[in-house]
Amino acid sequence: MDKYFTRMGDGSGVYMSAEEIKEDILQGVKDAADRGKIPELTAEEMDYIFEIVTMPGNIVGVERGREVVNTSDSGSCKMTYHANIAMERSTSVLVSEKVLGADSVDIGNMDYSYKAVKQIVHNETPVMELAQLNTVMPVLYGSMPNLGLYTKPDGPVDNWSELLPMAKIDEARAAQEEAVEHAVRDMVFVAGEMYAAGADGINLDTCGASGDADYLASLLATEKIKEKYPNLGVEFGAAGEFVLGMHGKLEYEGTRIAGLYPHKQVKLAEKAGANIFGPVVNTNTSKSFPWNLARTVTFIKACSEVAEIPLHINVGMGVGGVPMTEIPPVDAVTRADKALIEIGKADGL
Amino acid sequence: MSLETILNEAKQSILDIDQEKATAIAQQALDEGLDPVKVLTDGYSVGIREIGELFSRGEVFLPEMILASEAMKAAVEILNSALEDKASKTVGKMVFATVEGDVHDIGKGIALALIQTQGVEVIDLGRDVPVEKIIEEAEKHGANVIGTSALLTTTMPNQEKLEAELRKRGMREKYKTIIGGAPCTQRWADKIGADAYAEDAAEGVTKVLELLSLST
Amino acid sequence: MGDPFSLEVAHTLSSCMSGIRTAGDLVLRMQLAKSMRIDEAKKYVAEKLGVEPIDLSDSDRMFEIRKKLNLGRPFDLNRAPRGIEAKINIARVLGITINSVELFKEKTGF
Repeated sequence: MDKYFTRMGDGSGVYMSAEEIKEDILQGVKDAADRGKIPELTAEEMDYIFEIVTMPGNIVGVERGREVVNTSDSGSCKMTYHANIAMERSTSVLVSEKVLGADSVDIGNMDYSYKAVKQIVHNETPVMELAQLNTVMPVLYGSMPNLGLYTKPDGPVDNWSELLPMAKIDEARAAQEEAVEHAVRDMVFVAGEMYAAGADGINLDTCGASGDADYLASLLATEKIKEKYPNLGVEFGAAGEFVLGMHGKLEYEGTRIAGLYPHKQVKLAEKAGANIFGPVVNTNTSKSFPWNLARTVTFIKACSEVAEIPLHINVGMGVGGVPMTEIPPVDAVTRADKALIEIGKADGL
Repeated sequence: MSLETILNEAKQSILDIDQEKATAIAQQALDEGLDPVKVLTDGYSVGIREIGELFSRGEVFLPEMILASEAMKAAVEILNSALEDKASKTVGKMVFATVEGDVHDIGKGIALALIQTQGVEVIDLGRDVPVEKIIEEAEKHGANVIGTSALLTTTMPNQEKLEAELRKRGMREKYKTIIGGAPCTQRWADKIGADAYAEDAAEGVTKVLELLSLST
Repeated sequence: MGDPFSLEVAHTLSSCMSGIRTAGDLVLRMQLAKSMRIDEAKKYVAEKLGVEPIDLSDSDRMFEIRKKLNLGRPFDLNRAPRGIEAKINIARVLGITINSVELFKEKTGF
């Protein structure tokens, strides 16, 4: 029996038979449909995922004319800080534009949280100003809402991660509500400074990383940013496939936030005024790449069908069907791209 | 009330997050002379695992899960009172830390709350804990299991350091180790020589119980 | 896109428009400015440039069009518009407001 090379969710290579791959695709689709309460993919779509997974080339590409655009998460600081190349960030923006063929990039600080950036924003705006003078493509500023940073000892409010295990539910909820106000103020402040420095957009990256209050803060910040700076684009990127209920009762426009999957998250982002929504689907490291990819595409297709704003899918280490490994294999990355765009109808990455 | 009904009611009390009902059922089970271990294992534990599964699907939220685990703890306390052998009240001890350099402890808190409900005494060492401190606390408390959580690829090496340090001190066989956190995988556990890897809190419960059955 | 940084290359080769090598930056501007989904954004930009949507990803076609309309290119030796200069032209051609262009005008009394 022929076996095809593919991968597990942790990136390790594995040979699977056609039957095994098809079964994993089916189960991945069913898992997404069950959890998200969304439609399954059609038989034809599952066949196409099989075709994509088993294509002979090491890398694959979308059909001509189906190309999408990309935004990044802390794109400019990855060269400077992560790769440790001695390069000023506005220079790395130019490398992204002229060498890597990026459609946009966001400038981010090593301390990638709005709370941290607020203190040094006067040193961040000149980077944006210089980049805007020299760059043709859109340049955004990115950071994380990171609500957890507002808790003691780093911040002013009580730590709900400590209160919850003690069953101090009311106190934990009150602390989260208080933190929302601080976070919104910081995000709007930084957005205003970046708007004054010429930014094309603000990237609220990993909204909901600290749970539903984090998500609410991001929605409220989006609302205020669009109200104050209507010409500043807002990219609203999620942290996980569903919003973690650390509070559990918070609502936005009458909808409870906790537990929402991408197809419902996008509607809140739209209501808040976001221009681009970045859905996340998490990779299960114990399952195969076909299982993860099929599951991801099922979620994204459902999201895409109801979205009225563009979707830029988070496709990277451990999200978007891509294995959870620091050097994501290009065979898996490019197959994820193709499936998410051609079946999931993604508008960008 | 039949055993089957008691087990079902015990499970349901956890799913309903009804502490009053949970304790009442526990008392009733004792009054009717039922085996407290069976009531715990096949009743309450089933409920808390279902809650854990619902949490992992985004259908139950952290406050509810905490309250469910509180309800279970209250029921377990009553059941434990019937056990003459005090040592049998806890099935084992575990120290649990987020490794040095890492301040992420949401996941650890969730796992901790669930594991505690299974009769495991869990000593929470907090976050940003150096390897030396983890070993010191494990020794101090006479732990069977050492659990570490890491949410960053940059802090994961501390889990490897723990394994190395345990080996260096000739203490590796003394403890079972379990790792978790977003960037961790079974492959990482195999690579560094950890005894187990848990993908989420619910799996953490199963794996810790497995480790304890091996270590005792 | 996600982590880490090295993925950008894979995405660009596999499925993205390639920024100013083609018309990727222009399409993205319409998403940011008007929340247009990909097909609508491509249609809009194509109409403004007088081409078909499929041409927007063709680096050969776009190299010429960008040169003709002074929209900026990855490399251009002949005193072509760069950075903010190209964006002034982009704002005019696409009929949108670009924040940095407005600030530039304000600062220079344009």
